[in-house]
Amino acid sequence: MAKHVVGTVAEIPPGQRKIVEVDGISIGVFNVGGAFHALRNRCPHQGAPLCRGSVKGTALPSAPGEYVWARDGEILRCPWHGWEFDLLTGRSIFNPHRVRVKAYEVSVEAATQTEAGEVDPRVDTYPVTVEADQVVLHV
Amino acid sequence: MTLSLANEARPTTETSPARPRTGIIDCDVHPGPKSNAEIKEHLPQPFRDRWNGGGRGFFGNPVHGARLDAVPPGDGGPGTDPDFLRRQLLDEFGIAHAILLPRAFCNLHPDPDLGTAVAAAYNDWLAETWLDKYNPDGAFKGSITVAHQDPPAAAREIERWAGHPHFVQVMTDSGARAPFGQRQYYPIYEACARHNLPFAIHPGTDGMGINVQPSPGYPTHYIEWHTGLSLAFQAHLISLLTEGVFEKFPNFRVVLVEGGTAWLPGLMWRLDAEWKALRSEVPWVKRRPSEYLKDHVRLTSQPVEQPDDDRKLLQMLELMDAENLLMFSSDYPHWDFDSPTHALPKLPDALHRRIFETNARAWYGL
Repeated sequence: MAKHVVGTVAEIPPGQRKIVEVDGISIGVFNVGGAFHALRNRCPHQGAPLCRGSVKGTALPSAPGEYVWARDGEILRCPWHGWEFDLLTGRSIFNPHRVRVKAYEVSVEAATQTEAGEVDPRVDTYPVTVEADQVVLHV
Repeated sequence: MTLSLANEARPTTETSPARPRTGIIDCDVHPGPKSNAEIKEHLPQPFRDRWNGGGRGFFGNPVHGARLDAVPPGDGGPGTDPDFLRRQLLDEFGIAHAILLPRAFCNLHPDPDLGTAVAAAYNDWLAETWLDKYNPDGAFKGSITVAHQDPPAAAREIERWAGHPHFVQVMTDSGARAPFGQRQYYPIYEACARHNLPFAIHPGTDGMGINVQPSPGYPTHYIEWHTGLSLAFQAHLISLLTEGVFEKFPNFRVVLVEGGTAWLPGLMWRLDAEWKALRSEVPWVKRRPSEYLKDHVRLTSQPVEQPDDDRKLLQMLELMDAENLLMFSSDYPHWDFDSPTHALPKLPDALHRRIFETNARAWYGL
């Protein structure tokens, strides 16, 4: 499994997402309440760009006439036909065992060092350290 | 009886670059005005001030009504930007022609003059924009919206556009006060037949405004209402067949758009069986009712009713005579869009070509 740096933690605040392409595969990386999750950006139904869907909660199974709203921010809904997927697992809500989208492992790792880049030796420079946690996708 | 499907008298003014002669024909695409002002511009007073757009008012989709990725950059909602629509639909899937069905919802108004005026304004707008300014290659073909509340006025509206190179059919909502086989509608059908324009029925305004809801009372939820949209189509088709509309107007043709398809075989078996005993009640029905379909009726595919097993869907297509009756439609940009590459399983080449292209080409003379 190869590691791919998606960006910095600050770049994807809670509730936000970043869609990246890794080895020709489009993947959505989501910050769900501070934890990162990644799903393939392709709905198993008709191939829609799943990760461009809305992120909300859902009404859990309940008794007739009862509404139990829960899991705010954890449910991704396909932008075409509205199928719901669990952002934490990639499993669909209506048939978690058979209808699912691939989920990828994501970790947050401290940036080892900042790329220095080319420095013009004629200009006075000062050492700058940027400490930024990076979001790393394991594909 | 043989029908000439292509209107040979219809002028062809497709300008270069011409659309490719092969490619999918998408029989249900929804363009919309960028704002109500685009329609109001074509509405004379007193209707300009009286009309403020609006659709159903209730039974709104609780999730989203249109594909979220169909919102074009800049202003305007889904289906309002021709360049974006061309990229996302025509270019993406190799679609040669999109049959456009705007959603005027004019059939719900109690005032027939308002309904007629709104229909005319939508037709003026469509002709000026999607069928002209946005249509250098002739990819877009349009539908003449009519308000069936006033059939003679609707017939005059059809006359106003007959011969236009890019209007290829007349359209109405499925919402109505009476089933479409009844004789009050005949001025519309006479005009359609005279100009060889199919009459397309599209879901909408059922149970809204003056129209009856084709179920025992109002359902509670959108999911019930939306699943039940096919009920009106079945009632309209039974009515058209048993009232003898296709005997009275031998050139009259009907397209059932987005009304479902899998119900067709069972309904026809039932109607054919009844006819054996009851034909004397409707003696003008001279053939088994199902035998009128091939000459007079087409169905569009979306939403494809999908069993878990693709083989059963192939059987359904055979049972409904899809080879002759079915025309592909996507319903772009609505939420229940059917992708040309995913909505149907792999089909035999000949059947694929008929459903995705040649049935519609023959039907619309494209």
